[in-house]
Amino acid sequence: MKIEGTEAAAQVVERAKRDRRGALVFTIGTGCCESTAPFLYEDFWPGPDHEEVGVVADVPVFAPAYLRALYPANDGVTIDVEEGLMAESMSIETEYGCRFVLREPGGAKAPGQDSEVCAVPDETSALRSRGTQELPEALRRIRMR
Amino acid sequence: MADTKLFINGEWVEAASGESFPTYAPSTGEKIADVAKAGRDDAVKAINAARTAFDDGPWRRLSGKERAEKLRKVAEIINGRSAEISEIEARDGGGTIKKAMFADVPGGAGSFSFFADCAENEPDVIDRGTNPFPVATSTVRREPIGVCSGIVPWNFPFIMASWKIAPAIAAGNSVILKPASFTSLSAVEMVKACEEAGIPPGVVNLVTGPGGSVGEELAQHPDVDKVAFTGSTEVGRRIMQLASGNVKKVTLELGGKSANIVLDDADLDLAAAGVLWGTFFHNGQVCESGTRALVSRKIYDEFVGMLVERAGKIVLGDNMEMTTDLGPLVAPAQVDTVERYVKLGLDEGAKLLCGGSKPTNLPAGLDASAFYLPTIFEADNSMKIAQEEIFGPVLCVIPFDSDDEAIKIANDSIYGLGGGVWSTNSDRANNVAAEMRTGTVWINDYHMITPGQPFGGYKQSGIGRELGDYGYNEYRQIKHVWQNTATDRSGYMHFAALSGNI
Repeated sequence: MKIEGTEAAAQVVERAKRDRRGALVFTIGTGCCESTAPFLYEDFWPGPDHEEVGVVADVPVFAPAYLRALYPANDGVTIDVEEGLMAESMSIETEYGCRFVLREPGGAKAPGQDSEVCAVPDETSALRSRGTQELPEALRRIRMR
Repeated sequence: MADTKLFINGEWVEAASGESFPTYAPSTGEKIADVAKAGRDDAVKAINAARTAFDDGPWRRLSGKERAEKLRKVAEIINGRSAEISEIEARDGGGTIKKAMFADVPGGAGSFSFFADCAENEPDVIDRGTNPFPVATSTVRREPIGVCSGIVPWNFPFIMASWKIAPAIAAGNSVILKPASFTSLSAVEMVKACEEAGIPPGVVNLVTGPGGSVGEELAQHPDVDKVAFTGSTEVGRRIMQLASGNVKKVTLELGGKSANIVLDDADLDLAAAGVLWGTFFHNGQVCESGTRALVSRKIYDEFVGMLVERAGKIVLGDNMEMTTDLGPLVAPAQVDTVERYVKLGLDEGAKLLCGGSKPTNLPAGLDASAFYLPTIFEADNSMKIAQEEIFGPVLCVIPFDSDDEAIKIANDSIYGLGGGVWSTNSDRANNVAAEMRTGTVWINDYHMITPGQPFGGYKQSGIGRELGDYGYNEYRQIKHVWQNTATDRSGYMHFAALSGNI
């Protein structure tokens, strides 16, 4: 696993360096709402199985063993930044109204594959009519949580 | 000026900076409100208010029965405003109105009702019997912990907020809630209900804003005694480190990559529906989603055929319509993540069985960039799409030959949050469930979480439990009171341990 950063990401890191007194660290983590993503933290202690997999604006990027095993080659994964978004990741850049994202070479987009099997059925086009806002009878008895 | 404010010490206030941030309806991309953007100073103010309310206020000194009455009032207010809150919840987060009406809002109210019962019925003082020598009685007192912070994600904003606020205040604590930035609006409604129910000032506080400053402060401030977080695993690690400064209690509910195991003797009709429900409910944006379907090779072809055929019948559309099964994901950025994994799956040689793209024939007026088709891959458990949590509508189907192999694959994950077993043989299903290293197993069902039963994770899926008496007691200290009943020197150990000279 080898991770690099885009120029835009490096600029956000530089800003964080000015705003924070502690040592900055990127960690590549996973799970729940953020999926696998980069997190920029101040004075963060990488875990015992974390190793450095790159440097962005002189800030080391760490990743745990299981992620390094999933991405053994130099996959060309880069840390980029998207404007106008706030993750709930507690990553420093959320304060700036942007968020770090991972990108694979060739961009984020999958090849356009329209599967006939899973095409959205035509009934959806009928959904423009505003339906009843009552719970269906079967659901009225249910209290899921 | 923000449309919604912060709630600190019983007052609705603007952020100290005066700043706000927009929140959008993902189905159309339209902005629906400007939310007050709290910073570090606001978080500290809220923590101070919560501290004062706990140390000097009346709340923790009320009886459990008195607190229960207030919590029941909160539930009543929420239920009375069900239609309005459901609409806010669905519009802001992109979940269906159906989900909001039958799960989110009654679920949020249900948490307050359940923890009201805990406050009233769970004993605060427990007789632990007597000690033979020195002769003494032991009593355990269950007391509130103090100032609790709760940080919640965007997938179930209303229910998650209730899981943080209700048990905390039921036990006599004060609380500061930080909703996710994508979905702050329904938490505002919950806090309004708390205010209206007469919960005293400072007991419930709300700070909306980015995690980088507010979240950090809520996790590290020395006046916070406990932090509860639901969200990503790496953030959980961050919170543990921040909380370690003054050794706060921490409960974490983190990621998952749960296995839904279909044995060869399962009722295939029910199991196929259950696997689809387990994965695609709320577009897979559920931490305990059964995103790995482990399917016995004996029934594999027939079963996977059923999955693919039925996945095509899931209706995508306007999430505000009762007839829609799946609306948008929380934001176009989440769709970008899903697309990234679909590409990774294809690159690794996973076989795409259906989906794999955005829908092309959505009704007019919807923002197609926030939608994604239910997607099914035939995959190997070692692939990225089977190991990493995608948090989108992507199911990996993985064949197995024996129950033991199914268990081995299920446990081959850094996570252990949920899981399912489908079988018509109860003993066999329970044997498999017993071997799964995961906090919840549903046999012949999925996603059923109820306030009365504990929920949480093994391994990197978390620490501690929410809900049930287990969840309630995460918000209570344990104090052992030893009372020596001797009336002369013969009843003490210390004269023997040192000497009679003392």
